[in-house]
Formats: sequence, structure tokens, C-alpha cells
Amino acid sequence: MFDRIIAAAASRWFRLVLVSLLVLSLQTTLFSEVRPFGYAIQILAIFVACAGVTHDVYVGAVAGLVSGFMYDAILATPLGISALVLGVVGAAAAVMLQPFRDPTWWLRLLVVGVAAALGEVVTPLLKAVVGLDGWLEWRILGALCVTFVAAMMFAAPMISLARWTLREKVIYGSR
Amino acid sequence: MAQNKTNLRRALVLLALASVFFITLDLSDSSSTSQIRRVFGTVFAPIENISRVVTRPLSGAWNAFREYDDVVAENNRLQEQVALQEGAAVAAAASVRLSQELLALNGLPTLAGINSVTAQVIGETPTNFSQTVEINQGSNSGVKVGMPVLNAAGLIGKVTEVFADRSLVMLVSDPDYALSVKVVTMSSRTPITLPPLETQDAPSVDSVLDTADTTTSSSSTTTTTTILGFTPSATTVPAEVVAGAGSNITVPLASQLAVRETGILEGRGPGVRPIVRFLDASTRASAIEVGAPIVSSGGSRSLAPPDVVIGVVSRVVERLGTAGPILEIDLVADLSNLSFLRVLLYQPITESGR
Repeated sequence: MFDRIIAAAASRWFRLVLVSLLVLSLQTTLFSEVRPFGYAIQILAIFVACAGVTHDVYVGAVAGLVSGFMYDAILATPLGISALVLGVVGAAAAVMLQPFRDPTWWLRLLVVGVAAALGEVVTPLLKAVVGLDGWLEWRILGALCVTFVAAMMFAAPMISLARWTLREKVIYGSR
Repeated sequence: MAQNKTNLRRALVLLALASVFFITLDLSDSSSTSQIRRVFGTVFAPIENISRVVTRPLSGAWNAFREYDDVVAENNRLQEQVALQEGAAVAAAASVRLSQELLALNGLPTLAGINSVTAQVIGETPTNFSQTVEINQGSNSGVKVGMPVLNAAGLIGKVTEVFADRSLVMLVSDPDYALSVKVVTMSSRTPITLPPLETQDAPSVDSVLDTADTTTSSSSTTTTTTILGFTPSATTVPAEVVAGAGSNITVPLASQLAVRETGILEGRGPGVRPIVRFLDASTRASAIEVGAPIVSSGGSRSLAPPDVVIGVVSRVVERLGTAGPILEIDLVADLSNLSFLRVLLYQPITESGR
């Protein structure tokens, strides 16, 4: 029993929850005040895109859904919307990189930027689907550009963080 | 490895279904989602506080870099404005007090009778698709979901999520925000000035109250009426009608009295003025002037008590056909620069139990 608890606490998913909490706290403090041209940088979406880029579609999507649930819990929007959006972001980042056998570093940055920016389009779309109208406006383009540029800037450290967070330890001798 | 992939696939499907389930649950106003939020808020609050302390120098540096020139210019402008408004504020305070006394005398609700809690804004919305702020007062101070929030200028929004020591406030500019309001406007037509009345020309009490049975004593009139739901109070009139001693009498036209049109205020997102749509399609655009004040209409199902100042009409958009006009509103509160707020401890009936 005790071994199982230790194993769960040492798993990458538990590490993902802890790191997501830290990134989320940066999102709600620093990045809710630092607003280039009036748009908030979505550092959580960038982190999730990095998780997708450094791993596969499933890991990216699960990381997005887990982080998204946390994001939803502190927002006034319906619980589950950000989870779906970030799930799409994580999966999209991995899918975009799939055709490339050995992607270069700049290609990874580009994919992180595009995937994170995609989240800024999917959010108002999904809100409109559930009946929360009024966000499908031209200002999405501004949010998209700011997120893309910010993703290019923060992707390098975030890729390292995502790689460390979601690395799988191979324990020899275990079943 | 294959087992690992299968587990991931299962987790993915489970999480996606959970998302859809929670969206449905939240949109049907279930209290269980509020419980989840409350628990997560309790866990997350210490981490967020530490993060806020650590990142404060960075955000401070960003604000200093970006807003220094604007702050200096605004400071100069505000100093000039304060000097101009000091005199007007004294007169306005006297008028407000008089108005509140009159309302209290007639048993009508006033804002002065509602308790409030002062709160400070501690965070802005972290997303680009909601207009909320976080304040440092929560259920421990008596704050509940639905309570209206004001600043020194006027209404800024309503409480949408409450935690123990903090709350989320949805701003008036959020597209999900709607509130019943009234537009108070005055006609520009000039009043009629009548010549002094002769004693015999003065209207008798009987002719004025011709729809009611009236008994007149020497100094007071008791009116009884058959109109259902109307209970007139005792009216005091002089024993003898005295004509104005040579002075003209100014009678306001019926059309000159304040016109009150009731409508719904809707937010339209950041940087876009909120609008008012009218409930009554027969409302004429010509009856509403630019600059007319917009106040909350109140009522048992309203989200705010009556007469909370919201803004002024900045543009009247006429529409063809029977659709009434749409008004664009300049809010009196500056939503981009919020610091200290007042939460009115007034929970609307529609939000009670949340």
C-alpha cells in the first residue's frame, strides 16, 4: 500500500499536477498583469503545447485536460471549457510535429506558437457553442498574435520544463 | 508500452467526457461545481499568494515601464478636475441627502439603507475571454453570489464566485452581464408660463379630484376613492385658494417631466461600450438624448437595487421598423483602473441560495 502511494507520488502525472499549479499561479498573477497591447499571455497554453511537442498526442491531450480543469476551477467560465481547449492545444501540438522524423529546434518553437495561438481561437468558438456569445470578434486576432509571439519567446524554457515534468522513469525489476 | 498507450487512451476519453459532463452541470447552475471550485480555491490560494509576492517586482517593473508617462499626464489632469469638482461635490452631496430623506420619508428603498463591504482588487482576469476581477473579500465578510459591486463612481459588476477570503466579480462590460436599467431623460420643450390667477378662476378642490368622493374641512382634505389598489394619503390644502400675488406661475408641460424608459443593459467585451436594448418596442429615439443618465431600475427580480448610477447615453442608434432604438453607454466607472470597490450586501432573489 505504502509502496503504491510512493509510486503514485513519484509518477509523472503527479508531477504534472504540481508543475501545472505553479504555472497556473504565474498565469493568475504575473501574466494577468503583464498584458502586451491589452492581451493576456496564455502561459498555461504554452506549457501544454510544449508537453505535446515533447511527447505524443495522448500525453499532450491528457496534460491539456488536467491543466485545463485547474484553469477552469479559478475562472468564472463553465467548468470543462478550458480543459477541452487545452486538450485540443496539447494534441494539436503533437499532431503538427508528427510528420517530422527529427524536428529542428526552431520547428518545435514554431509549432508551440501555432498550437498555443490555436487555443485563442478555440476558446471563443467553444464558448459560443455552449451559448456564451459575444467573444467572436476581431480582437481574437490580437490575442492570437500576442500568444504566438509570447510562445516563441517562452517556448525554450517551457519545453525543458515540460520534458522534465513528463519524463517517464524506467524502474528495472518492476512489473 | 502497449498497456501504457491503452491506459492513456482510457484516461483521455474519461477526461474528455468529464469535461462535457461538467460543462453541462455548470450551465444548469448546479451547486456541485461551486463546491469543486471552492475546494480547489482553498488549495490554490497559498500557492497563488506566494507567486504574487515573488512576481510583484516583475509586474511592478512592467507597469512602471509601460504606464509612467500616462500616469504623470493623468495625475495632472486629475488635479485640475478635483479642483473643479470640489465645489460641485458639496452641492451634489446636499442634493443626494435631500433625495434620500424624501425617499425614506415615503418609505422607498435607498442605497443608504443597504450595508456594504469595502474590498480591494487583487487580480485581473487571466484570460482574454472573460471580464472579471478578483477582490479580497469573500464569504467570511458576508459576500454572496449575485451581489452588486460599485466603486466611487458607480456600478462596476456583480459577484459571480465566492471563496472564503476572495471573490470573483464579473464586470459590466462582460458579454454575459445583463441588468435591467432605466433611462432618465428630460424634454427640451420650454414650460408654459401662466399669468397670475384671479381668486374666482382658481380650480376648486372638487374639480381637481373629480373622480373621487371628497369631504373638505377647513384645512385638510380626506380623499376616498373607488380606484382599486390606490390608497391616497391625506392632502392638506388651505381653506381658501389664494391666487399668486401678482407673480406668474410656471407650469411644467406633461412632456417636460422626466421620461423613464426601461431596458436591458448588456456588456459587449473589453474596449466596447455596453448597450441598452429596450423592453418596450414603442420607445422613440427622439425622446432620449445623448448625456441622459442610466441608472439601475431595481425591482424584486433585478440584480441591483434601484437608482445605482451606471453611466450616460453616448449614442442613440435608431433602427428601422418596430424595433426600438439601441443606446450606447459611457460607463461612469473606469473599468480599466479599479482599486477599491464596495460590495453591496444585497442579494437579488434570482441569485439567492447560490
